[in-house]
Amino acid sequence: MYGVQLDQLAAVLGVSEPRARAAAARWRARQHAESARLGPGAAWIWLTRAGLASCGLPYAPAPPALSRLAHIRAVIAVRLALESAAGYRAAGAYWRSERRLRARLGGRVGLREHLPDGEVHWPDDAPVPWAGECWAIEAELTRKTVSRTAAIMLEMLNRTGDYGCPAADVQVPSRPPRHARVLYLCSPAARPTVARARRALGGAAARIEIRPLPPGAAMEPAAGAGP
Amino acid sequence: MISRWVSLLAVRAAARGALRLLRLAAGAALIIVAAPVSVVAAASVTAAWLRGWPPGRLYRAALCCLPMIAVWLAATAITASSWRAVAEAPYLAWLAMWHRGAAGSYASAAAVIAPAAIPLGLLAGGLAWSYRIRSMETGSGGLSPGSAVTFDLRQWRHQVRSARARISAPGSVPLTTPNGAVVAGAVIRAVNHQPGRIASIPYQRMRSHQVVIGTTGTGKTTLLLRLWAGFMATALRRHAAGQGRPPLLVVLDCKGGADARRIADRARRVLREAGARSTAIWPDEASLSLWALPPRQLTTTLLDLIEHGTGAAAYYADVMEAVVALAVEAPCGPPASSAEFLARLDPGWLNLAYAADGHDGDLTLVRSAARQFGDIALRFRTLFRRLGPGLDGPGGFGDADAWYCILEGTAEISVAEGQARALVDLLASYAAGHSGGGRQAREILLAVDEFSAVSRRLPIWQLYERARSLGLAVQVTSQSWQGLAADEDERYRIAASADGGIWLLRTPHPEPVTGLAGSRKLVDTTRRLLGVPVWGHQGTSRIRQAPVADPALIRSLDVGQVAYIYRGGVTFVQVKRLVGSPAALPGAVSPAAPMTGLPAADQLARGPLNGRSADGQSRKAPRRPLPDAGEFLDEAFGPEAGP
Repeated sequence: MYGVQLDQLAAVLGVSEPRARAAAARWRARQHAESARLGPGAAWIWLTRAGLASCGLPYAPAPPALSRLAHIRAVIAVRLALESAAGYRAAGAYWRSERRLRARLGGRVGLREHLPDGEVHWPDDAPVPWAGECWAIEAELTRKTVSRTAAIMLEMLNRTGDYGCPAADVQVPSRPPRHARVLYLCSPAARPTVARARRALGGAAARIEIRPLPPGAAMEPAAGAGP
Repeated sequence: MISRWVSLLAVRAAARGALRLLRLAAGAALIIVAAPVSVVAAASVTAAWLRGWPPGRLYRAALCCLPMIAVWLAATAITASSWRAVAEAPYLAWLAMWHRGAAGSYASAAAVIAPAAIPLGLLAGGLAWSYRIRSMETGSGGLSPGSAVTFDLRQWRHQVRSARARISAPGSVPLTTPNGAVVAGAVIRAVNHQPGRIASIPYQRMRSHQVVIGTTGTGKTTLLLRLWAGFMATALRRHAAGQGRPPLLVVLDCKGGADARRIADRARRVLREAGARSTAIWPDEASLSLWALPPRQLTTTLLDLIEHGTGAAAYYADVMEAVVALAVEAPCGPPASSAEFLARLDPGWLNLAYAADGHDGDLTLVRSAARQFGDIALRFRTLFRRLGPGLDGPGGFGDADAWYCILEGTAEISVAEGQARALVDLLASYAAGHSGGGRQAREILLAVDEFSAVSRRLPIWQLYERARSLGLAVQVTSQSWQGLAADEDERYRIAASADGGIWLLRTPHPEPVTGLAGSRKLVDTTRRLLGVPVWGHQGTSRIRQAPVADPALIRSLDVGQVAYIYRGGVTFVQVKRLVGSPAALPGAVSPAAPMTGLPAADQLARGPLNGRSADGQSRKAPRRPLPDAGEFLDEAFGPEAGP
């Protein structure tokens, strides 16, 4: 994740918000993290270069982009909702974030290459029927055009190679697809478009799952932004 | 006469009593007069007692208050515009405190005296706590003769409780410090070492030899995983900053079995979290090529892998050496696999290989040894069958950031001995840069667990010496002092050359190691006990030598507690457990990954390749109908809304 809001950090750590704030303060004191009030709602916390190095994460340090705050929050909420599900924990499933995927690409993100907001990997020996599958996760807050959404869906469904693989391996017809299914978590505004795009896919639509965004995914509305 | 003597005694006793009362009264008066300082001092001593802090912590806290005093005095100087007011400020604050207290304004009274009372109280508390510890250490304090022992045990419990609380707080114990030191956990107690909150060792010590001793179930694996992950994270960071070479961690687990595989899986996960792109598990998921060794070294290694007899059998050993040398150093180049090598153990092949001019001597040798070829080939065929395909390549140490090599030292000792010998030779060759391919040099940490079980063909001191000459750091791990090496001299040689320190977990026989930590001078005081709790004023003091690392304390260490012995000091550490994420499924071959036939780095990092597609992806082809995940998704996100 690029950064996290304090209330979500508390949920990640399984502690109260004051304790999460204290933990964040300690990280800040050690220069492992930075925090700031970037938008409405709780403060955002993100790792500095030292913090990333301490965690052994090979990412470039940067505060969360202001234009993506709502999206980042929604993706974290999705991840938290998944990780709190008993089936996810029992299966030992693993979340691979967009940031990790981007890091694998090593700055070689092609203009036409779409990165999902995350991937969920289900181990082969997981006690679930879909063990061994890899799911692409997309959080949709705003509506795109149907054609654009369908194109993204197709790209993810047909992809065969991992992110960062040679260009020749990205889509190889003889190989099994990378993502067994694509899970769309949609806001009420985006859901109709995503549903129409799925219908446009025909037979491949069975591999698209659509669900509402979990509670707490939306950012707190800015003060004075009410009707 | 007698009555005058008795009355004199009575007067003296009364005078002594009066003097004692006077002293007590003066002390009580001082405490009351300096009430704010007394309160802070009492609170700080209580906190230090409860948390097991050393007095230095209170002194440092007092020192941290200096800016507050400076600001207070500066503010006084500015408002009063007089230096005299600054000098009088503490006294005036004290007076104001009493006046406001008498008026019932307690908060205001506390605020006005705080700048002076807090640092002074902390200082007084530090002195009092230091006095208490010293009096207990020397045996001159406490009400009963056993007070010192009880005090020490209680302080140990308090220190352990504090350390455990510290490691349980999220983010309080990072893997490495900003300056690259590897953090093992929280400090419980330090003797002759600088006390601190977290126990960290500089990276350079990870590049020196270390010894880890601890019985099963004491947290040895947890400690090792932490050290390995710390080494990996720091080395990668240094490499990224251009300050060092990329790291290579090689673990030789000489016990084998299912337990070794569980540890290998944990190691892979924590190392990945630490930044390692790939961890190869040998021989289960990756292989190495013995045939990458330089020809001369390959000849030596192949001969060492075969058991030789002595006496008359030495003749056959010489014949075997000559034949192996002929097969390996043939003009067409060394063999690339065991099958190729076995094919060369044939007089016809060797006659053809050496048929060119200038090899008459070699051809004579082939002819004279012709009768032995069948036996030699048989022995090597048996050897390769027992060793398995793990050493038959492809692959090399340069293909992964970490190698976890599992040797079945418990189940198949002779096989494990051969494998250990071959792996060490391969690593030595790789480190020396003669294994071909022109690979980039690496900072290598070789961790060997229970190596003595498989070191018959390669004495561990020889491994130490070789490692030293090649710039490798060796971390020797053992369940006991006896497990370090075969004989006492070798054990002492290993322990004494552990420049990076010795990690000692609970073990029943710690004396040889604690002896290496040396002793320290302590003052031992005797007192005359008149009757509990009354002590006489007479006694003697003497200096005695006490062990720096108390063997009794080592024997009583709990799970996850370790004593780090280094340069005549010891730090007791509560190790923070590292938890790795569940293994991710493998990705495709990275373009940068070495294509040596070894599974790509990321594939190795993420699991066995059985049943996977050619690009290492484990995803199931959705040719069959997708299993229904609706129930799970409903649980996580709620049901899908209608169209």
